[in-house]
Amino acid sequence: MKTFWPRFLSNPRVFLGLVWLGLLLIVAITANQLAPIDPFAIVGRPMAAPSPEFWLGTDSLGRDVMAGLIHGTRATILIAVVATLIAVGFGTFVGAVAGYYGGLIDDILMRFTEFFQTIPSFLFAIVLIAVLTPSALNLIIAIATVSWPPIARVVRGEVLTVKSREFVQAAVLAGQGDAAILLKQVLPNTLSPLIVTGSLLIATAILVESALSFLGLGAPNVMSWGFMIGAGRSFLRQAWWLVTIPGVAILLTVLAINLIGEGLNDTLNPRLSDL
Amino acid sequence: MRLFGGFATAVIAIGVGIVGVSLTSAPAAAQKRGGTLVQITQPEPPTLGSYISTANPVGQVAAKIYDGLLEYDFDLKPLPSLAESWVISDEGKTVTFRLRAGVKFHDGRPFTSADVQFSVMEVLKRVHPRGINTFSEVTAVETPDAQTAVFRLNRPAPYMMAALSGYESPMLPKHVFSQGDIRTHQNANNPIGTGPFKFGEWRRGEFVRLDRNADYWKPGLPYLDRIVVRFIGDTGTRAAALERGEAHVAGFGAVPYNDLRTLERLPNIRIETKGYEMLSPVVELMFNTRKAPFDNVKVRQAISFAIDRKFVIDNIWFGFGKPTNGPISSNFAASGLYTAEVMNYTVADGVERANRLLDEAGFPRRADGTRFDIVHDITPYGEEWRRFGEYTQQALARIGIRSTLRYEDVATWLKRIYTDYDFDVSSNHLFNLADPVLGVHRAFHSRFIRPGTVFVNGVRWSTPQTDDLMDRATIEPDAAKRAALYAEVQKIVVEAAPLAWTHEISFATVLDRRFRDVIVSPLGLFSNFDRAWRE
Repeated sequence: MKTFWPRFLSNPRVFLGLVWLGLLLIVAITANQLAPIDPFAIVGRPMAAPSPEFWLGTDSLGRDVMAGLIHGTRATILIAVVATLIAVGFGTFVGAVAGYYGGLIDDILMRFTEFFQTIPSFLFAIVLIAVLTPSALNLIIAIATVSWPPIARVVRGEVLTVKSREFVQAAVLAGQGDAAILLKQVLPNTLSPLIVTGSLLIATAILVESALSFLGLGAPNVMSWGFMIGAGRSFLRQAWWLVTIPGVAILLTVLAINLIGEGLNDTLNPRLSDL
Repeated sequence: MRLFGGFATAVIAIGVGIVGVSLTSAPAAAQKRGGTLVQITQPEPPTLGSYISTANPVGQVAAKIYDGLLEYDFDLKPLPSLAESWVISDEGKTVTFRLRAGVKFHDGRPFTSADVQFSVMEVLKRVHPRGINTFSEVTAVETPDAQTAVFRLNRPAPYMMAALSGYESPMLPKHVFSQGDIRTHQNANNPIGTGPFKFGEWRRGEFVRLDRNADYWKPGLPYLDRIVVRFIGDTGTRAAALERGEAHVAGFGAVPYNDLRTLERLPNIRIETKGYEMLSPVVELMFNTRKAPFDNVKVRQAISFAIDRKFVIDNIWFGFGKPTNGPISSNFAASGLYTAEVMNYTVADGVERANRLLDEAGFPRRADGTRFDIVHDITPYGEEWRRFGEYTQQALARIGIRSTLRYEDVATWLKRIYTDYDFDVSSNHLFNLADPVLGVHRAFHSRFIRPGTVFVNGVRWSTPQTDDLMDRATIEPDAAKRAALYAEVQKIVVEAAPLAWTHEISFATVLDRRFRDVIVSPLGLFSNFDRAWRE
């Protein structure tokens, strides 16, 4: 692991991805200073094209698209990251327990996972939002609910290979408890695939959130990129900037995350990248 | 034009001509036979049984198949159809219809008074969602001979005469529909009527084909060979089909308002806003008047003042609307039932007035500039409703009311508003329909505070005085007196503001210019297209 950071950062694609994400992070944190207005506030003439007054134009109700984009950064990233953290946490728990104990527990947990995995995830998210009613919290719940099964499967697979290794058996002989072995011996050695899958999951979460908002199932009181696209899609022919600008933001962000995810993969699995 | 003028003097109209009832009186162009009209209806109807479902798409298809006793002109005045003439006597308690002779159903059997009797008493009065109300005063339909149907009424029901179109009250063949349970009848989706078009085929998810009825009772009509009603799920594809001339007619919300403005500029397309005069949707904000702070009339008035109606119409409905203050649509101006003499909320200094009213009502601004918080349940009907909610949120913010938008599916929303009454403010629109008795009373008459019944008095506001005025207007046969009663109702409710009426929606129909005389009645797409023709 000593050579991780130099190797990781020397990859130009990773560098680009990190720059974009860093920028987003700054925007997200300083959203209230950069655009100190309510992004839903009606501030100008509806559907005004980009101009010195409104750099990115206004939408169908006269809301500033720039302000929407800035505040949307915060909401979009927050929802995606929190949902991913929950999915990773829950998926890791299920996968680790299933892989470590095996037998009946493994069977039950994996059938449970497959139950979630067999439902097309986006449709499942739509159903969840329809049942729970759209809000930021429920978006997080829905995205996390449909995202954890792949994590569980990855972690289980890794745990299965790691638990038969000598150092684990040594820990068993040394009398360590199950929880200690799992947390201290097994899980740290499953981290690299987990980090790669988890980082890519953030990109998926952004896409799911955007798609839900696009369909009008997003949180009605939260300005997100998906909301902006959903609200602007009917006006593509009259006001191209309403859909294009948040669309490009999503594209760049998902691309950046994928670049970083691939970079992580290359760095953490050096043998693959040497092939 | 008085809809019920000369009510007591009996003879209202006698249909003399059969064809030549030219409503739009367009210059007599050379109508041509033949051609297929493609109509886009959205969404696909759940059934074609217009006698049991009032869902919008059902009427758009079934009205071509079933005739009614009457048709209407754009002033909502009745015209002859299956009934050649009618006489109202006994102070409005007897209505005698003289039926047209020689009319045949699509299966060749003759249409007689027995079919009228069956349709009204056995079907519409029992299972039609609005017919239950329309025909509530009808105690019997007598059939002295095959061409005469005599309606016996408990009390006069002037509004009934406005609800006898083929869309609202279809005349069904007794010999078909009297067999078996009407609610689940097999012929619902294999309809047999007397209309200008016969049912051909329904390919689910794609189209309904209607074929020309060669034996139609109006000689030489219809002009068209065929009507194909297509179901296209995607909004963009619908607009594109019209643009390319693959489809020729689409109305209601089938094409979004902003796309209408784009289509309007094309040389092959015409936008028609006529043809919705018997629907007259009026947009409203509903207040939970039994809950603080909406039990305070000043709060309700303040909110009504805060809505910039012009902004809403221009930017959310793209100009397809008309500002209003009250519940009755200006489409009733012709019949005298509409009055503009009510409290005016459409004023330039609305925001100042609203702020003043809220101060007076005892809701001063707090340190953060807000007065109180509410939840606004948006109508879950689509984009413009959502934008209307977002606009309202901003408008209320200007007068210190902080609102949170809640967006639920239709069923949950309906239950919340009309069963649980668990809301602060909601937005909605009610159709005025053919008469205020049918479309307006339900919003604020005490009789319509019915938990579980949707689109009625969900605000739970009523007064004995307005109830009484509406009850009297219901049975008042004299048009002028009736208009006076409604004028008073409007004055009182607009000032009490149990709802804030903001604007009338003008629906619009997209028409291919090659097709003429398509929209010739206030029922628009709910009429039978018998005179439509292709150049």
